[in-house]
Amino acid sequence: MIDNFIAGSVALFGDPFSIGIFIFGVIGGMLFGAIPGVSMLTLAAILLPFTANFDPAQGVMLFAVIYCTGTYGGAITAILFNIPGAPENAPTSFDGYPMTRNGQSGKAVGAAVLCSAIGGVSSAVVMMAATEPLANWAISNIGPPEIFALVFFGLAVASSVGGRTIWKGWISVLCGLLIATIGQDPVGGINRYNFGFADLAAGIAFVPAILGFFAVSEIFVQAEKKAIGKFVAPELSFDFPTILELWINKIAVVRSILVGFFCGILPGIGATLAAFMGYGEAVRWSKNKEEFGKGKLEGVISSETANNAATGAAMIPLLALGLPGGAMTALMVGVFQMHDLEPGPMVFYNSPDLIWIVFSAMFYANLSILFIGLIETKTILYLLKIPFQFLAPMILLLSSIGSYIGRGLVLDVMIMFGAGIIGFLLRRSGYSIPGIVLGIILGKIGEQNFAQGMQMVHYDIVEYLSRPICLLLIVAGLLTLLTGVYRAVSFSMKD
Amino acid sequence: MKTGYFNKIAAFGFATALSFFMAGTASAAFECKNKQTSMAKPSGFPSRALTMIVPYGPAGGSGQIAAAMAEAVTGHSGVSINRDHKPGGSGTVGMTAYMSAPADGYTVLEHIDDASSAHALDSSRPNPAVDLIPLVISQVTFSQIYIRTNETRYNDWQSYVKWVKAQNGKSTIANVSKEGSMERVTMKFITEAAGLKIQQISFDKGAPRYGSLLGGQVDALFEQPGDVRKFLDAGKFKPILTIFNERPSVFADVPSHREMGMTFEPLLRFRGFYVHANAPADRVKWLQWAFQRGYCQDSYQKFNESKFMTVIDSYRDTAGARELIRGSIAQYRDVYKAMGLDVK
Repeated sequence: MIDNFIAGSVALFGDPFSIGIFIFGVIGGMLFGAIPGVSMLTLAAILLPFTANFDPAQGVMLFAVIYCTGTYGGAITAILFNIPGAPENAPTSFDGYPMTRNGQSGKAVGAAVLCSAIGGVSSAVVMMAATEPLANWAISNIGPPEIFALVFFGLAVASSVGGRTIWKGWISVLCGLLIATIGQDPVGGINRYNFGFADLAAGIAFVPAILGFFAVSEIFVQAEKKAIGKFVAPELSFDFPTILELWINKIAVVRSILVGFFCGILPGIGATLAAFMGYGEAVRWSKNKEEFGKGKLEGVISSETANNAATGAAMIPLLALGLPGGAMTALMVGVFQMHDLEPGPMVFYNSPDLIWIVFSAMFYANLSILFIGLIETKTILYLLKIPFQFLAPMILLLSSIGSYIGRGLVLDVMIMFGAGIIGFLLRRSGYSIPGIVLGIILGKIGEQNFAQGMQMVHYDIVEYLSRPICLLLIVAGLLTLLTGVYRAVSFSMKD
Repeated sequence: MKTGYFNKIAAFGFATALSFFMAGTASAAFECKNKQTSMAKPSGFPSRALTMIVPYGPAGGSGQIAAAMAEAVTGHSGVSINRDHKPGGSGTVGMTAYMSAPADGYTVLEHIDDASSAHALDSSRPNPAVDLIPLVISQVTFSQIYIRTNETRYNDWQSYVKWVKAQNGKSTIANVSKEGSMERVTMKFITEAAGLKIQQISFDKGAPRYGSLLGGQVDALFEQPGDVRKFLDAGKFKPILTIFNERPSVFADVPSHREMGMTFEPLLRFRGFYVHANAPADRVKWLQWAFQRGYCQDSYQKFNESKFMTVIDSYRDTAGARELIRGSIAQYRDVYKAMGLDVK
């Protein structure tokens, strides 16, 4: 592992272009994570078509670095403006924003910087140690039947995250699954729902959908706030947390690393649930539960440690099994596919250099959060002074280019705006945008593996469930769904 | 550990011997069929860069051949070629985009035999031999059946057939078994001729397809040798049947389907370059020269060698390409009708 890590580091820093991409990824991820209305997903989606001209290792490395630093970057706006840069930063705002209102924005930002770096570096180290053995095991034990079961379990858990109610979360995921069926079916090649349009035979392209649902809908949301006068710039300060304050919360850090890693490694879950669970566990174990939500440092620490701990872990199912844990890792699948590679066990055989360049880059990216993060935060303040009326058209223009450039089809730009409008309306109604996107991503993977898995077991459900991993994950997924229903019904009855 | 070491030596030896053999074969056998070394540009055409529409991703088989041919054509003619990848729908998106592009000769198309099989199934889809003019077909290859080198249940075609029959329909093979594909049609030929019942598992991407055999998720793999060369060189896979009328010398130890009692005419995988049938004739002539001479360039020949594409004759000029395409369409159409598919 050490030898590979050193080789990856040498490859990364031995090439000036790779260094340039790394630095761009670190700074770009932080910036886009921090600017309200856009996120690391926006940057990644815009950059996706351009990665076709990169070496595959450079393309994937860029996205992995953006993933690490962007996950941290979103905490800035969550703390300062109560606008999470990404869903995984949402719990950070629960206590971070009250801390800003209390004149403790420096402490909250400082804690976010330190804990993001700690969570990310810890996760990167475990990832380097565990991914390859897991991949070797996976190639023999994980086939299409197991991958479908994993997708089912991931969707069952993810369906309860992000929506205002569990029912809306489920409907969001189902919408995503429905969208995923547009185009040729992945096994037989039969056209579905393309209404005679040849361009739709390839299905709904992922980049325009992501740009629409995330970037465009976010602009609409912010524009509405601007129109009704709810867009308020907060007070800023840079008063960092003391060593004693951090030492008091050491258990919260370790717990969040474990929670974050566990959530990150489960396909279809990723950093969003990690942050919520990290925050939830902090509340659950705290003796002063009533202090949470009012500006408690531990809330920021728990959320930010957990979401960055999930970044390295989320790379394991992506690289070992080819399963993206969330929207960002799903975009990484796009980078692989642009180079006709498929993330999964074969990557370790076909492209070991790529793997270790990516691992090394993630390690250094998390470290750089600590060093660059503090400096860059000041730069972000100047960017935040760009008036929204100038920022929004710029983002729309870049998104339109990003949508069009992938396949050179106007249809994709139309899909982006359509997704933006639908996303805006659904968000107002409490539906989950991450749920829809996960439905689109996992729907395609799930359907393909379901069809292949059924062929492998000769359409015999008993033979399917005789595979231990399939049985375990299907049962776990069903229990998750039933538990969600039970809680939702209990909550309704209490009301 | 000793076995692994031995395998590595054996694999290295095989790869080295293969490299020498291939290099020798190519240098001795290759002869450029288009003898015209230069050609004047007709009325200044092309006065700007050409656009090549590629209906698949940049790093797949089509993406790679497009890059190699563009480099070769630019190298000898000085005319730049911009590649425009329009993947999706088994080549449908790219073909549709191409047919709506101006027929002025500035836009060319890369496509594979899928265009022929698509037309065979639905005659409203463009016929590559009629609606397009083939400039050159520069890759023609055959398919093989592969098993893992460390497979213990069978080790050649005969023992594989015996084992499959004993499984009573439970054996599996990984391929691209989309409706009407070359793979599915060929597997139909094989299973009928050999009296086998095999469950085909369709993987549209190469890596999971190869991983399924490597990890033991499936029992065999249907593929073309160039696509699995790294596994052959590494000693991970070995071919047990060549679906071609004779044994290519590189695979002299592997029986052909005819030797195993199967009499069907093998369907070939081919990739080539086309221009719209309505493009000006003088421009078409120049493009034919440019692409046929591109095939002869060292850089392109080196590329073809690396993909096992010099094992059989990979070159067809316009007339030869039309013959190959027409023959394929007729063959596919007959098979589709026999399969009960809705041939339009």
